Order: sequence, then C-alpha cells, then structure tokens
Amino acid sequence: MADFRLRVTYAETGRLVMLSHLEIARALERAVRRAGLPYAVSQGFSPHMKQAFGSALPVGVGGLEEIFDVSLTDYVPPEEALARLRASSAPDLMPHAARYITKDETAASAAYPRSTYEALLEASRSSDCEMDVLAAAHELSLPSEITVVRKKKERVLVPSEFVVGELEVEPAEPGEEGQSRALVRFTLESKASGSLRPDVLLEHMLADSGLRAASILRTKQSEIPKE
Amino acid sequence: MQNLWPRIEGLLRDAGRDISRPARYLNHEWGCTYKDDADYHFCMIYPDTYELGQPNQAVRILCNVVNAVDGMYAERGYLPAADMIDLMRREGVPAFSLESCAPLHEFDAVGFSLSHELVATNVLEMLDLGRIPLRAADRDESNPLIVAGGPCAFNAEPFSAFFDVFLLGEGEESLPELLVLHRKMKQAGASRAEFLRAASHLEGCYVPSLYDVLDEDEAQQTGAWVRPKYEDVPANIVKRIWRDFATSPAWEPTVVPFAELVHDRLNVEILRGCTRGCRFCQAGMMYRPVRERSADNIVSAVQRGLAETGYDEVSLTSLSSTDHSQIEEILRRLNRGLDGKGISVSIPSQRLDSFGVEMAELVAGGKRGGLTFAPEAGTQRLRDVINKGVCEDDLFGAIDAAFAAGWRRCKLYFMIGLPTETDDDIKGIASLAQRAYDRAKKATPPEARGSVKVSISCALFVPKAQTPFQWDGQITTEEAHRRINLLRSSVKYRAVDVHWHEPDVSLVEAMMSRGGREVCDVVETAWRHGARFDAWTEFFSLDTWRAACAECGVDMEGIAQGQYETSWVTPWDHLSVGVTTRFFRRERRLAQEERTTPDCSYERCSACGVCPKLNIDIQCQEERHG
Repeated sequence: MADFRLRVTYAETGRLVMLSHLEIARALERAVRRAGLPYAVSQGFSPHMKQAFGSALPVGVGGLEEIFDVSLTDYVPPEEALARLRASSAPDLMPHAARYITKDETAASAAYPRSTYEALLEASRSSDCEMDVLAAAHELSLPSEITVVRKKKERVLVPSEFVVGELEVEPAEPGEEGQSRALVRFTLESKASGSLRPDVLLEHMLADSGLRAASILRTKQSEIPKE
Repeated sequence: MQNLWPRIEGLLRDAGRDISRPARYLNHEWGCTYKDDADYHFCMIYPDTYELGQPNQAVRILCNVVNAVDGMYAERGYLPAADMIDLMRREGVPAFSLESCAPLHEFDAVGFSLSHELVATNVLEMLDLGRIPLRAADRDESNPLIVAGGPCAFNAEPFSAFFDVFLLGEGEESLPELLVLHRKMKQAGASRAEFLRAASHLEGCYVPSLYDVLDEDEAQQTGAWVRPKYEDVPANIVKRIWRDFATSPAWEPTVVPFAELVHDRLNVEILRGCTRGCRFCQAGMMYRPVRERSADNIVSAVQRGLAETGYDEVSLTSLSSTDHSQIEEILRRLNRGLDGKGISVSIPSQRLDSFGVEMAELVAGGKRGGLTFAPEAGTQRLRDVINKGVCEDDLFGAIDAAFAAGWRRCKLYFMIGLPTETDDDIKGIASLAQRAYDRAKKATPPEARGSVKVSISCALFVPKAQTPFQWDGQITTEEAHRRINLLRSSVKYRAVDVHWHEPDVSLVEAMMSRGGREVCDVVETAWRHGARFDAWTEFFSLDTWRAACAECGVDMEGIAQGQYETSWVTPWDHLSVGVTTRFFRRERRLAQEERTTPDCSYERCSACGVCPKLNIDIQCQEERHG
C-alpha cells in the first residue's frame, strides 16, 4: 500500500501547555480524523492510526515547533492537508506547517535531539515585587548536580552534560499586571541514556533566587550539527 | 461575571506536579459552546470529577437544550478532585464553571444531575466551595436557583433540604421551561418565594419547601408523608416524558475532552426505556415506555458524530441496546461503513437472550475485549423471582457464540441478598459460573484455552425506590459477608475469580434510596465530618456515616433493612415515575409466587400504567423478536 508520511509542525500554547504528552497525542489523533485525511491504519489485534510523535514536553511546558508524523494512504497536497488540519484543531494546539518526508528521514521521536527553551522569569510571590528581576536572572547559574527520582530510583544528573552553549538572559516585556520580567534561554540535548527536563533544571536553578518561571516554551528543535 | 482563569492558572503552575490531571480544569476542548450575548447564565453540574462527569449524557443533553434558548448560556461544572478542592479552599478560590471560569455563586441557576445516591455529600462540597448556602431555607434573592434532576429525584426526600426545585423525569423540555419562567419572573422583580410557588405548577416540578412533613402514623393514614402547604400546590408529582425522543436526531453535539475519561468515546443513544421488568431495577421503571430511534437516524448520527469529534470508538447506548428491533441492521451498516478505519462499534451491555452468533460477530469490529453479562441470580427460581427472564441456556448460548467469535474474557454480574435468596441460590452462582467456564473453554480453540477467563462480580442488593422491591429490606452487612464467603468457598475453579462490591457502601446507598427527609441532616452532618467522594473506595468511610446517624438520631439499619407489607406508604409515594403502586404491589406478589411477567414491548401489556398516565405509546421501529 502507498505510504505518504506527512510531517506536521504545530504549536502548543496557552492553557493547553498543561496537557500531558498522552493527552496531546490523543488530541492530535482526533484532529487528523476530524480533518478527514486518508490516514493509514496498523494491522493486528488492535488496529490504530499510524502516527508518530516528537519528543514529549513536560506538563506546563509549551512548544512552538512541535512535530508529529502521520502516514496517509493517498497523496493529499500538503497545503490542503494543512488547511484541513487547521480547520479541525483547537486554537492552542494549531498546526502551521506540513510536508512529506522520505523513508530516510529520522522518525519524529528522534529527529531533533536538541531543544531550545525560553522561560519568562518574574519575582516569586514571596519576593519583594520591587526586586531587579533582570539582575537576579543574570546571577543564575547551572547547578553542578541534580538528583531526580524516576520510578522510585534516584539518579544524579550533571546539567553541564546536557546544556549546549551558554545561558542567555535578556530583558522581557512586563507581565499583565506590569510586573517586571526577564527571559532566560538555554538549549538541552537529549542523550541515549536519558535527558534533563527543562522544568526540573529551572526549578533547581531558581531555588533561592527569588524568581519563578511564569511560562516555559520550547521555541526550537534541532539536529546535532555534523562535525 | 468574574473570570477566575488567571487565578486558576497561577494555582496550577505553582502547584506543579502536586495537582493531579490539570486537564480537568482547562476547558478549551473541541466542541465547547461560547455565547457572549446571554442575559441568563446556567451552570449544569455533575457532582464528581471531570473524567466521570464529562461523559455523562444528561449533562450534555441539558446544556444543549438550554443553549438552544435565545439569550441563555449553559456551562458545564464538575467537582474538582480532592487535591484541587483543598488547594482552592486554602487560596480562597471558589468553585467555577468550565467555559467562562466564573464563580458558581454568580450564576442565575445551577443544576445538579443526581445519578446515584452516593453523590449527596459531593453536592454539599460543591455548594460550599461555590459559596452558596447549603440549605434552600437559607438562600435569598442574591443566591442562584438550585435545581436537581436524575434518578435520585424519584426519592428526593434525603436530598430535599439542599435543593429549591426537583425536576422529575426527562428534562429536555422541563428544564428550559423552568429556566425561562425563572428568567421572566426574576426580570419582572418577583421574589424567590413567588417564583418557587409558580414553579410548583409546572408539570414534573417538585418544590419541597412547599410541603409539610407528616409523622409515620399520619402518613400511613393519609397515603403520603408530605402535605402541600397551599391548595394550588400539587399533592402528587408525576415525571415528565419527552414525546419527541424517537423522532429527534440521535446526533447530540458533544465536547471532545483532552483528559482521558472513564467512557471516552462517542455515545449515540439509540433507544430509551426498558420494559424487561426486572423487579429490582429502578431504571427499568423510570424510563418507561420503550422508544426506539430509527436505523437511518442512528447510522447518520454515528457518521456525523465521528466526523465532527474524531473519536475512534462509538457506543450505541441505552439500557438494553441489543433489544433494539433493528440492531442487526444498524451494526451491519455501521461495520460496512467503518471498515478499515480503525474505528470500533460497541454496546454497553449485552442481554443474554439477545446475544447470539450474529451479534457476537457484529459487535466491536476487530477488537475483542471483555464481555459482560448479567444473569443477576444463580438459580432459575431466583431469576424468576426477580423477573430477569433469562435461563441457563441463554447464558450458555451467549458464551458459545462469544468465545467462538474470539472473545476470551467474560464477566458475570450477580446480586447478593435479593428477596427470598437462600444458600442454594448463592451456591448456584458458583455452579453457573463454573459451567459457563467449561462452555467457554470448549468453544475456544485448544491453543487459546489458557487465556480463557470468567469472573464473577457481585454487589449487594439495594432496595430502590419506585420498584416492586421497594418494600424489601437489605440484608445486614454481616449476613452479606457470610454469603460472599459462602460464594468464594463454593467456587472451586482457579480460573474463575470472585469480586465483590463492599457491603458497607451498599448500606449507605440503601439508606439514601429509602430514607425520608430526616436523612438530610445525616447527609449534612456526614459532610461536615469530612465525607465526600463516597463513591470512591479510598474516600468512603462507614464510620463517618454511622457517627452522623447517631448524632442525628437516625437509624441507618432501620431504613435500609426494614421489611414492609406492600400496603406501607413509602416516603416517596407523592413522587411518581408514572407506574402505579398497584402494579408494584402485583409484581411484588408475583415475585413471592416465583411467577414472571413478560416484556410488554414483545408481548401483551403488563398494565404498569405508564402509557395512559403519560399519554404515550411504546415506539418500536419494527416488531420485536424475543
């Protein structure tokens, strides 16, 4: 059977950043069905749509360039597929690009090992609201170690092994109530042995800084540059 | 109205992983209704968490009918989970609606769907979190109108203190009528009392504050436990029925959730009512008579519903879907149309006597999960007592068909403590399940026999108001445990599992089902002592309920276990499902004589009284085949 793999890029924003990866996956699958695209169905005991998702975002973290792949049995011009998907999607989970990929291209889940995040920082509730948020943000540094618990097992991660390049700090637009804000940008690379979650890194970086993350957004996903 | 979203969002962000499933509180799902120009705001509540309430069809239907009224906006509301409730209380955030995230107390009216007895304390939790006085008597012009409907409205008394108005029966017409009247009178400056008096004149509308409560002697002499305070207030309230059900479109616009629900699929209601006449079954008495939608209507609703929602599963819902006179045609047409799309069609429960080889092939497409059948009792004698109308051969025929068609798991539902039950009936459950297992194994290819599983699931009989068994007491919890143990020791096969529903919970259910107004105090006291989410095993505490009963001087066992003659006037005698008390009495007597009554949608009329009372007829698409 003909197999056309459509790679769709979408943004996950607004309150839908609170959804889990499974909830997002289910919502995207339903959007494909609502769009009436000729999706391929797997064979076997429990037939389901042939769809693959990009790397998961933690609950609370949004993304501007998220991807999923769906296999189609018939060719639909990408611009038409995109238009149909957009008409069937919730505003905060909106596709904005679609293209066909070849068999040689890496699967959605492994396509982009590097993720760039931007976090908007502001004074935490208990802090002095007159504090200099930008100056405090410039003071931030990577913790040397982070202990995470996964499936009841403790693991020690070294942030410098995951962070690519430097932390970048810049001024940001004030919040809705005029509170002063700063933006911190960093890139994390996932490893075969695991990855460091951006919200976990921030939680440790912001501890005792008087700052809180008002929002965290993955703005870019990229491949590892070939040497 | 205030928009609480910025505060809710802040709570969720700051709490991080401390709050489970934030998707419950987000709104913005596909298919939500938004209205900017409404002058009247209604919030329809399901008093449990989002994942239980969102699939509820009553909430969906009622929101849609109210939204169809010009200038009225119906929103959804669910009780937040316990972690979120506690956080909201600490932070001073009130209960809110989903669509506009507005505080509950700012609505004109709030409706509650009372789908089972154990939601009572959740109702109080929601009212309190919503900053609305718990008791109707304490509310004034500044508070919303608090309305309830659903199965529990048929014995409204244990809930009566907390609601201004109950709507009995189907709400498709009565809810908009009530709200339109409320808007009109409110805008004209009428007082709360004036409105309630006027509301009591609507058909199917019960306003408990307009009645005096009588003592038992007086009740037995006069034939009712309550007496209207005014001449224009009706002494008896009969349920409403929606005459257009059968001819109305089966497609009911629905919200597609992000969060995973307990029943996360497209639901299409194919028929309403069931007149098999099981004598313990409240639903069977409540939704009479049988009304079927046509195959064309159903098939087009499924197609449209799947296209608009994107679901990969559709369930053809009703009390007894395999009884639809065109069910085979419907399934055949749907399976043909959905072939190769990875979409399955399911049926919520299968009746044993209408599940044959054909049905086994047609249901669930390629997916073969578990099947559930409900023989309810272990011996033919007891099945005749309850008028179940199925025999062993029906069960074995269904098992042969299902396992030959590829099913490997089957769950059998039984009730323990049914009127007239003996130890032989309990042993009969074990024997029936073991023989069912033997049949299942025989119908399965040798290489797959290892995966054959039959399980027994049993619950304690809860006498329900508005049924022929409403006069029968529940057995004690000690006796229930003895019978469960007898059942467990009677099952000799390892491959047959026995599961049971805690008798403690059923005891409270029985009190709520049969109690009078005095139980309202118990509900409030139990809630004040921490009872909430009583339907959740991890939250339920019989001790809390016992202490509340002791404090209020109410005899829980007395209400749940009392055995009465059929001449005894029940606390709900002024509320009617349309079935006559004479019918209930006759059915109770026939039960004693182990005699059955046929289904009137297949055979002769059983004279329950509902058709003449409500001026309606059975509506079947074709002649039914038994």
